[in-house]
Amino acid sequence: MTFSQALFLALLQGTSELFPVSSLGHTILVPALLHWNNIARSSAPFLAFVVVLHLGTALALILFYRKLWYAIVRALLASIVRGRLSDDRNERIGWRLVVGTIPVGILGVIFEAPVRRLFGSPAPAALFLLINGLIMFAGEAMRRRQHQDGRKNYKQIEDLSYPASLLVGVAQACALLPGISRSGISMVAGLLLDLDHEHAARYSFLLATPVILAAALLEVPKLLAPAAHLALVESVLGGIVAGVAAYLSVAFLTRYFRSNDLRPFGWYCVVVGAISFVLARRGIIT
Amino acid sequence: MRIIAIVLAIVFFVLGILYGIGKVNLFTESGAAHAHHITHLIVLWVLALLCLIWARFQSAPR
Repeated sequence: MTFSQALFLALLQGTSELFPVSSLGHTILVPALLHWNNIARSSAPFLAFVVVLHLGTALALILFYRKLWYAIVRALLASIVRGRLSDDRNERIGWRLVVGTIPVGILGVIFEAPVRRLFGSPAPAALFLLINGLIMFAGEAMRRRQHQDGRKNYKQIEDLSYPASLLVGVAQACALLPGISRSGISMVAGLLLDLDHEHAARYSFLLATPVILAAALLEVPKLLAPAAHLALVESVLGGIVAGVAAYLSVAFLTRYFRSNDLRPFGWYCVVVGAISFVLARRGIIT
Repeated sequence: MRIIAIVLAIVFFVLGILYGIGKVNLFTESGAAHAHHITHLIVLWVLALLCLIWARFQSAPR
């Protein structure tokens, strides 16, 4: 992996992790499209590099929502000490995040490796990216139908029921499939459960934070592998670039979803997914 | 409900240990016996902790 490839991959990871376009799908498709066959994806330095990129992304998310996370953690600890649930807004959000994180924790441990083995090549990733776009279009259409008479009110995150939070968590677990976006599919689930775009996006980003952080922390031992230091400079700079890109992405997307919807990302996924799928089927990208 | 939560916590805790020492390899990447499945151990212990918190919510005075 060259220095410029490392920086490009860091930028790609930091942005595509939060934009609803699937970072996993892009990290499979883009190197294949650019014919970067020199990257040894299972080598210790590359795995360490990927761990640092995820750590950078998770830290950026925590930093962006630092005040909210502080309030949530404090409220959760207070409710555990008290042994009783209250109507505190941050506590309600916190328990909904805990419930929403359980499915991806369990399903991730069971299915991540087999899913990557089965679908971790360009053709399935492209097909799932196309499906990801169609899911966003379908979600937007269903949400508009639900709210077309204007009588149904939008909910806040803390108004979601626990089964609804669990459902968003199950939807998030579908992002184990390369090409299906974590933020995209959990936003669609949130929209169908009566959140507006702004709150669906916020819930999606908050829900993604512990998952990305835990996934990165579980892989931290890979940083201690004997050959991991060979990409030390690339890893450190890559982590910073991914973190900055993730921070700017979440700042942009939280503003964007105040008045816009998922359809532009749906178009992007459908077009890029379809083109990549045709190229993969013809053997042009492998 | 409190008893169920505590029983589940114990089950998850013990299962975590069995994965950690390699006695159980169901749903693991390698499927190899005697491999230490630390990720499974951590997830199961987190579930055990959540069950204990659930039990705590059941037992606190109203």
